[in-house]
Amino acid sequence: MQTLDNAKSPPAAIKPLDQSVVARLKRIPTAYFAFWVIAAICLVALLSWMGFSLCPYSFDQTSTDFLAGPSSQHLMGTDELGRDLLSRIVYGARLSIAIGLTTAAVAFVIGTLYGAISGYFGGKIDTLLMRGVDIAYSLPDLLVMILIGVLLGRGTLGILIALGLVSWMGTARLVRAQFLQLKNEEFIEAARAQGQSGLNIVFKHLLPNAIGPIIVALTFTVPSAILSESTLSFIGLGLSPPACSWGTLASDGWRSLRAHPHLIFFPSLFIFMTVLSFNFLGDGLRDALDPRTRLGKTVK
Amino acid sequence: MTKSSDAKSDDRYLIWRLAKGLGQCLLALLLLVSILSLTACTKARSRFEPGVLRVNLGTEPPGLDWHTATDSTSFDVVSNLMVGLTQYTNDLTCAPSCAKSWEVLDDGKRYLFHLRDDLRWTDGKPVTAYDFEYAWKRLLNPATAAQYAFFLYDVVNARDYNTGKLKNADLLGIKAIDPHTFEVRLSKPAAYFIYLTAFCVSFPMRKDVVERFGDRWTEPENFVTNGPFRLTRWQHEYKMELSANPQYFDGPPKVKLVKMFMVPEASTAFALYENDELDFIDNRSFSTPDVERFRSSPEYKNFPLLRANYLAFNVSKKPFTDPLVRKAVAMAIDRSVFPRILRRGERPATSWIPPALPGYSPDSGLKFDPVEARALLAKAGYPGGKGFPKAELLYPNRDDVRLTVEATQDELKRNLGIEIELVNQEWKVYLATVRKDAPPMFRNSWGADYPDPETFMNLFTKDCGNNDTKWWSPKYDQLIQAAEGELDAKKRADLYRQADVMLCREAVPIVPTFLATQNIMVKPWVKGIAINPLDLQFFKAVEVGGQ
Amino acid sequence: MIALILKRVLLAIPVLLVVASLTFVLVRIVPGGPFDADKNLPPEIIANLNAKYHLDKPVPEQYFLYLGRLAQGDLGVSYKYVNRTVNDILSDAFPVSLQLGTISLTLAVMIGVPLGAIAAVCRGRREDVIAMFLSTLGISVPGFVIGATLIFVFAIELRVLPVGLWESPWHVVLPAVTLAFSPAAYLARLTRASVLEIVEKDWVRTARSKGLSQWSTVTKHILRNSLIPVVTVLGPLTAIVITGSFVVEYIYAIPGMGRFFITAVMNRDYDLILGTTLVFAVLLIVANTFVDVAYQILDPRMRLED
Repeated sequence: MQTLDNAKSPPAAIKPLDQSVVARLKRIPTAYFAFWVIAAICLVALLSWMGFSLCPYSFDQTSTDFLAGPSSQHLMGTDELGRDLLSRIVYGARLSIAIGLTTAAVAFVIGTLYGAISGYFGGKIDTLLMRGVDIAYSLPDLLVMILIGVLLGRGTLGILIALGLVSWMGTARLVRAQFLQLKNEEFIEAARAQGQSGLNIVFKHLLPNAIGPIIVALTFTVPSAILSESTLSFIGLGLSPPACSWGTLASDGWRSLRAHPHLIFFPSLFIFMTVLSFNFLGDGLRDALDPRTRLGKTVK
Repeated sequence: MTKSSDAKSDDRYLIWRLAKGLGQCLLALLLLVSILSLTACTKARSRFEPGVLRVNLGTEPPGLDWHTATDSTSFDVVSNLMVGLTQYTNDLTCAPSCAKSWEVLDDGKRYLFHLRDDLRWTDGKPVTAYDFEYAWKRLLNPATAAQYAFFLYDVVNARDYNTGKLKNADLLGIKAIDPHTFEVRLSKPAAYFIYLTAFCVSFPMRKDVVERFGDRWTEPENFVTNGPFRLTRWQHEYKMELSANPQYFDGPPKVKLVKMFMVPEASTAFALYENDELDFIDNRSFSTPDVERFRSSPEYKNFPLLRANYLAFNVSKKPFTDPLVRKAVAMAIDRSVFPRILRRGERPATSWIPPALPGYSPDSGLKFDPVEARALLAKAGYPGGKGFPKAELLYPNRDDVRLTVEATQDELKRNLGIEIELVNQEWKVYLATVRKDAPPMFRNSWGADYPDPETFMNLFTKDCGNNDTKWWSPKYDQLIQAAEGELDAKKRADLYRQADVMLCREAVPIVPTFLATQNIMVKPWVKGIAINPLDLQFFKAVEVGGQ
Repeated sequence: MIALILKRVLLAIPVLLVVASLTFVLVRIVPGGPFDADKNLPPEIIANLNAKYHLDKPVPEQYFLYLGRLAQGDLGVSYKYVNRTVNDILSDAFPVSLQLGTISLTLAVMIGVPLGAIAAVCRGRREDVIAMFLSTLGISVPGFVIGATLIFVFAIELRVLPVGLWESPWHVVLPAVTLAFSPAAYLARLTRASVLEIVEKDWVRTARSKGLSQWSTVTKHILRNSLIPVVTVLGPLTAIVITGSFVVEYIYAIPGMGRFFITAVMNRDYDLILGTTLVFAVLLIVANTFVDVAYQILDPRMRLED
């Protein structure tokens, strides 16, 4: 427990992302486990992208075994054309994971930077930048995505850019609000008094202290981007069959909820597991990045 | 130290209590709502409303003007609001309606319709032959831009007038001799002509109403009709209400109200039916998995439709400029896959004329034969699919269509070794693309407008606005023209059969895939729902409740 | 605070103008026109239609014509729904979405915020893990799956609620719950994260050391400050939820406004696209102004304008 005496000086150990963060992360079992789950999913996606499929079937290999439930031959059953669902989920991971990671990255980089500038400077700059966010938010997403689709053609790059471009505004507003609030804190004033540079204050003091809500916002862009991709496919801008992603598998399968639940259950399960892992990892990262959190206290 | 630590856990306790309190309030509220709804439902909800029929249209009809409408949703509504000279019975013969009788004169080139004299529009005015004359001339007027104008092309001068070569509408073979006599002169005998007088596009229209209200003449407050129902309410994109028309000449219908909802999602519509919120559903309200689950229900019926699905080529685009390639594709698709994946009792088809119509022969089309298909492809210069360009197949985005094209893609890959790229577009965009510049392959379907092979065969003549294959042949056009004028049924059927062979065995601009079926479910308290292969629903004979 | 609101109202005009102009340009850059997708119309008819809707004029002239009408509150006509004005369409559809959206937003706040607070307080314990699972479920399961499941359980199996349509107050329940899922999940996670941030703050301890009572520490400091991120996301969230959701309206067959964000774009229904966009923009601006006002109330030290 920190005592009141040193409360007024800036906390000492604010060093984002050094070894101690990894070491701290290792001490949070859920986060560490989640990290490995994500790593495994990424690895499978990468391998299947490079051509090493880990499944006995190809994602577009049909059979006469239509709509079979899970069995030892098809662990997750088959779809309407007799294709193995597990193979399709593995195949679909590549796009869905790529979408999840890129949109989160875009939201983090653009959103945080934009929000940081707005919140740190405040005043007129803030007013101006935030009106910019209002405008960007108001433009019809679909139209923007169609335009990008037209400019870049049908393809993964277009999908990634389109989804990335419409994902950063929420994060920007959140970072800005956190900064506006935090910059009045005593420890920031103390840092200023010590003559630390603006960049130093933003990255060493403001950002680490605002990281909790930012991480939450980022983990939430992942599933919403994965699911939005199926909308793109629906209007003919996304993947063309037989290629698939978790988003298209889920949106094709949900009508079978009652008759063939495996068609919707497994794709949803994978999205759920991935998002859950991101959430646990995000929580862990927050704790690891936050110098004031005493890990001993988390588990009472 | 200890003090501050205690204080902190007290903070937490307080937050916890606050949150928990809020949560409990909410839980109590939810409980209350559910108890209320439970009692409300068990008390008030009856399984049906006597005299009210609730059905699903699926989507908003693009427009109720039966001259510019082209889609079945609009026609489903119009055919309950309006009647024409004749009307279909459920075995698809033409029975008298507005016309109490008619004469066929001059070897089938002149028709004289005698109208009943007790016909009334919903505003009380009589229905006269002049209303028919106005309507038919409006249909053919190029300014109306009616896609179905070609329906009346057999009328004297109709084609020239509609295509702008002739400006004077008085030269058309359409004339009201007196208020109760309507005369039509044809340029050649047409065996199927009487069917056309039962179809929506030939219904009468009120000149004064159309001209006064312009585009808004079909809104409920302006709409004037002559059928068993009248449009009383139209909440766009949600619901239409059709009330019984007490002035209908055949006596008012048995239900007093038809509620037509526009539920776009089939599985929702099906759940509405299960939950007694709809009384009658058809294909629009079945998602494929639902059909499977309810096939054994006594409320379920499945019957064949005159609606054929096909794969079309744009014969002006490589590699499908070569008939050998087209034949190879036709022979490489095992049609039996379609009923297995679509699961609605679809019938595989190899010929364009369906079995129910004259001119059908089981040998008109090419049978599934992968060995021969590969040989043909090799002959065309692509042995084993080598060197075959990656061809696009365009399809409108719908679940069942996606499954059929995916299956087709798979069949072609397996049996011919060729790769097809599937491209989907939203329905309207798809239509526009196919019309303007059709890709090498596209998936389409055609539903019969009347029970005659003409409605199918006419589609691939040179001048037909719906022929998007770019294929035409003078020989085919001659065969069709000869068949249209032929009055001997047997000779006529043979002409159509020859044309069908040309279409499906020799030139192969299209590959017929399967014939669709209609699936319906009717609640036990609804009587009088009729079925017919044209998929027309007439609600005037339906009863709800009763006893 | 009054000055802030006034300033925002004045700023709203240029913002809306920019939104209208950008969207105007966007719809005309994107390939496809309103009459392309229609029937195979002869060129003369298309020319007539274009003339009727002033689409034959040069684009800059169309733009000023549009702005002129906009200034009079006329959003134009729809090309798809023949002769229905955009004002007609939106005044039919918006109230439906507004009712549904308000209810589900209330639901989302009432479930999400307490759930997040409980999770933060019971951090690392069973309650926290349950809250985490619930909120992950809420955000990662697609809306149509939630909708279909709710219909199956409450309408088909239990038969206590209607499946869909928009006929009576009972018809609001399932769509509102479906629509509330994802915002509630988001709010829960956010509340948890920000309560955790605040509880650890030095000045919370300072406040306590000054002898403030527990009650006022919790309400005045912890809750007030941890609500900042929650209020932040509530701004855009309100605009999004109130203007309707395509998925929820589609599944429950509700005649709301959400569908037009998709269908208007698909039909290239120019004026309707602009109309829906502007309604959304107005709501967003209003909501974000409220958010900034709320900042001042929650934490008076947050000065927004200089």
